[in-house]
Amino acid sequence: MADVTLYHWEPNANSGKPMLALMEKGVAFDSHYIDMLNFDQHRPEYLAINPQGTIPAMTHRGPWGTRVLVESTAIMEYVNEQFAGPDLMPADARDRWRIRWWMKFMDQWLAPSFSMFGWKFFVGPNALKAHGQDKIEAQIARIPLPERQTAWRKAVFGLFSEAEMAESGRRIGVGIQMLEAELGKREWLASDQYSLADVNGFNLAYAMPLSQPHLANDEVTPNIMRWLRAIYRRPATRECWKLGRTPMASRVEILEQDYIPPRDESEGIASGVR
Amino acid sequence: MQMILYHGEPNGPSLAVLAALAESGVEADCRPIDLLAGERHALPGLSDATARDMGVEGEGPVLVVDGEAMTESVFIAQFLDESGRQTLQPEEPYAHWQMLMWCRRVTERCAPAAAFLGCRAHSAGKLGTPAVASADLAARWDMVRRGDFPEDQVTDSLRHVTEAVDMVEQQLADGRDWLMGALTLADFETYGWLAGMAELAPHAFAGKDRANAWLGRVRARPSVQAALARATTTTPETSWAPGPEINRWG
Repeated sequence: MADVTLYHWEPNANSGKPMLALMEKGVAFDSHYIDMLNFDQHRPEYLAINPQGTIPAMTHRGPWGTRVLVESTAIMEYVNEQFAGPDLMPADARDRWRIRWWMKFMDQWLAPSFSMFGWKFFVGPNALKAHGQDKIEAQIARIPLPERQTAWRKAVFGLFSEAEMAESGRRIGVGIQMLEAELGKREWLASDQYSLADVNGFNLAYAMPLSQPHLANDEVTPNIMRWLRAIYRRPATRECWKLGRTPMASRVEILEQDYIPPRDESEGIASGVR
Repeated sequence: MQMILYHGEPNGPSLAVLAALAESGVEADCRPIDLLAGERHALPGLSDATARDMGVEGEGPVLVVDGEAMTESVFIAQFLDESGRQTLQPEEPYAHWQMLMWCRRVTERCAPAAAFLGCRAHSAGKLGTPAVASADLAARWDMVRRGDFPEDQVTDSLRHVTEAVDMVEQQLADGRDWLMGALTLADFETYGWLAGMAELAPHAFAGKDRANAWLGRVRARPSVQAALARATTTTPETSWAPGPEINRWG
């Protein structure tokens, strides 16, 4: 039994961030899969660990007892500072500022837009297919806070307004252009060394060539494609993605292609991974 | 390394960064700008304006280092601390995580609410017409310009401010002087957003003796006094400009 236990869903988005950071640092950890679409995160046994019911969460046992950590980006910073292994934050203070800036920009501005598209076209429909509307309604009804029930209903059933989807689409377009420009300045996203910003960014952006084939491909975003493939080739990334249990995990395999041409926007929708 | 700190009146994120600068001992050329006039969007000599244009914080201070615009008050404060005396962040990783989590709660929940209430009360009719690169920040400028402050967001914002004060009160329950035990940049970040709320949400502070005493302690710090001495108005706590957006997911 390892001192560290990570409670996570698929190696994707917020769950994927601490998973990959732990793998990069070479930290042994017990993987505890939380089936988010089966609402495991609202069960008493998980709420006893993280009363907020958010995923991921990490526990770390030591002389101090058991620490419980939440919030994926903050967990990554803890992992980097607490454990030996390759430093995922550079020594230069301005580089560290840039890494933090990009992580906040992705976490708060860009990721919610990707998330809205992901739920609308992929996660929501897959959840309905796997569990059926009645079971999901019953699970949502058990969530204690009414506003969380509303948010979950909106996400699973894709109840986003046209204006919300349009704004998310705009942000995705702007965000991809910003990433492309930034990756034209240096090899990695926010500094000259592989860092937490790259771990964060990969988990946000790896599926873009599938979900946004008109915006992210080898013709219009060569820097992004170079960067995604470089991270995909890392042994830690490969190990991380072995922990996936759903078809979501197979999406990353698109990065095995040497050349991805531009395709129409509708092909992203048809692929069911937006 | 040439460092220029463009800051608004010593309130909100500008106050937090000015205080952190003074605590850090780092030398920077401090230049006041009028955030409501939009001067932040026309700074000279920027070679990389990405963070100025697209920062989540909205109209906060900008630290320009060798032409690169740096934004987000917590991260600027971390940069200054790490470039200087290194006294404002816990060294122990778990304590550091706790401080980061505190700052996230403040910047994600309290800051949008405080900026919203502050602009509603004090900024209408004072806005310039800058060219704002970020479409969503430009939309927040337009909301303030139109006086478009929906009642449900007023109610929600008051709730977030109240929760932030409650959080401070609870955190100080063991008799500590500062939020994290030792003084950290979390004290300045939290103070910056809450100081102006005493007037706008007095019920949030009523009976919160520990939080009110803490506000007094932070205000008395020489670094905060030095920041407040840079004010060009007698009431800097009423200076607000469009800030972070209210969470799109509710």
